[in-house]
Amino acid sequence: MQTGLNALFAAAYLSLVAVGLVLIFGVMGVINFAHGELFMLGAYVVVALYTNLQMPFVLVVAIGLIFVGLVGILMEFTMFHPLRDNPLGGLVASIGFLMVIQASITIGFGVRMEHVPPVTQDVIILSEKVRLPVQRLFVILSAFVCLTALWLFLKKTKFGWALRASAQDPEAAMLQGISTRTVSIIAMFIGAALAGVAGSVTAPVISVSPVIGHSVIVSAFIVIIVGGIGSLEGAVLASVTYAFIHTVITTFIDGVIADIVGLSLMLLVLIIKPTGMFGTQDRV
Amino acid sequence: MLLELKDLIVSYGPVQVLRNISMQVRKAQVVTIIGANGAGKSTTLRSISGLVNLKSGSIHFDGQRINDLPANKIVSMGISHVPEGRRIFPDMTVEENLRTGAFLRKDKTEVEKNLKDIFNQFPILRNRRSKNAKTLSGGEQQMLAIGRALMAKPKMLLMDEPSMGLAPVIVDEIRKIIEQIRENGVTILLVEQNAELALNLANYAYVLENGQIVLEGPAEELHDNEQVKAAYLGI
Repeated sequence: MQTGLNALFAAAYLSLVAVGLVLIFGVMGVINFAHGELFMLGAYVVVALYTNLQMPFVLVVAIGLIFVGLVGILMEFTMFHPLRDNPLGGLVASIGFLMVIQASITIGFGVRMEHVPPVTQDVIILSEKVRLPVQRLFVILSAFVCLTALWLFLKKTKFGWALRASAQDPEAAMLQGISTRTVSIIAMFIGAALAGVAGSVTAPVISVSPVIGHSVIVSAFIVIIVGGIGSLEGAVLASVTYAFIHTVITTFIDGVIADIVGLSLMLLVLIIKPTGMFGTQDRV
Repeated sequence: MLLELKDLIVSYGPVQVLRNISMQVRKAQVVTIIGANGAGKSTTLRSISGLVNLKSGSIHFDGQRINDLPANKIVSMGISHVPEGRRIFPDMTVEENLRTGAFLRKDKTEVEKNLKDIFNQFPILRNRRSKNAKTLSGGEQQMLAIGRALMAKPKMLLMDEPSMGLAPVIVDEIRKIIEQIRENGVTILLVEQNAELALNLANYAYVLENGQIVLEGPAEELHDNEQVKAAYLGI
């Protein structure tokens, strides 16, 4: 039970990161290697505004969402738009951007781990052995709210349709009067903002350092490959599956073994079903 | 003149696909472009829609120069394009596909009315409205693609090979649909390999070969032309 709750927590922030990554890939066709750094930026917004300036936590999370979303738009303008006919170039540029963000944060905050004081020490005691810190519950709820909001946006709004249409067939979308540029900017904002929120809400539970993006992005890549790279539902389901397997193995055996199993799982999926568990040619 | 193409030159890399194409389409007419595969028919439509850039030449629609506008602006001027191969959005429902066609429209009540009209015209789409578009048959997908284009309430419809890959019975249905659209006063520029179908529907026709217009005239005249008969009608 306790392990299950831990896994749910890991699944929550992982799925936020993975879904953003899939969204950006679906619409723009570019793999954003700097996505883990967007998560890291979200965490540092908390370090700067909550730990240092002591602003209210919920407000800081909202600022994290918007700020990192805007960084996403900046990436669209400076890299992905100029390189729009060159997906590989976009990927390489995003690796460069990753280094720039890491270096900037290191200059600003130093390399040592930042400890973010917990917002609340409350623990919900579900039974003698099962405890759920409210801080972790907050992460789970945030993921739930964000993913539901995204789903409603994609299914119920005009721009949500435009986004899905562009992901499925950009040229046909243009013929309906949809501006692919506008859609790209929206996708970048949402994708980055989701990573930012994940980083912000998770910051008090983890140790924040300039390199935390790495482990997040590796897990996210595994998840979207296992889930089927274009499928949002696949990304969420694979996040949950992966988080459970990873957490169970870490708890009962060892963290390194868990990483090995995760990567092997990805290999296995690639060999057996290269389109991923939920993959088809389906996109967003 | 609703649409006027003047001396279009388009090339993909070193290959010239269109060499000096000039064409005119009058309001409320059906004009067709026939020709073999690779003659440049689709490219002509794609350059009107702003999907390919001209090397030189000009395109005027409703008296306005449109060849330097982006594709989404051209849609807003009243040109809808039913692309080759239908290109419906496979993982969106039939209804979502249709509503996407009205993306630029602000007149909500009119859009609802339009949607109803289209469902009346294509009852099969109403039955499948909440199914994903990829589950439709080829003919149904073609109807969806046409319906989607009509949802924009266009002044002019560009149709690229609407009969391609369809069974003769369905082709007949598509013919009736095009006739109905014409009766509603929408101007049509129709690209077809099925020359018999195209010449029967059209008022005026152009024959394209290797990116050049080799013949043009009223559709009945071309239908009786020996050259056309031999090359495209298989008589």
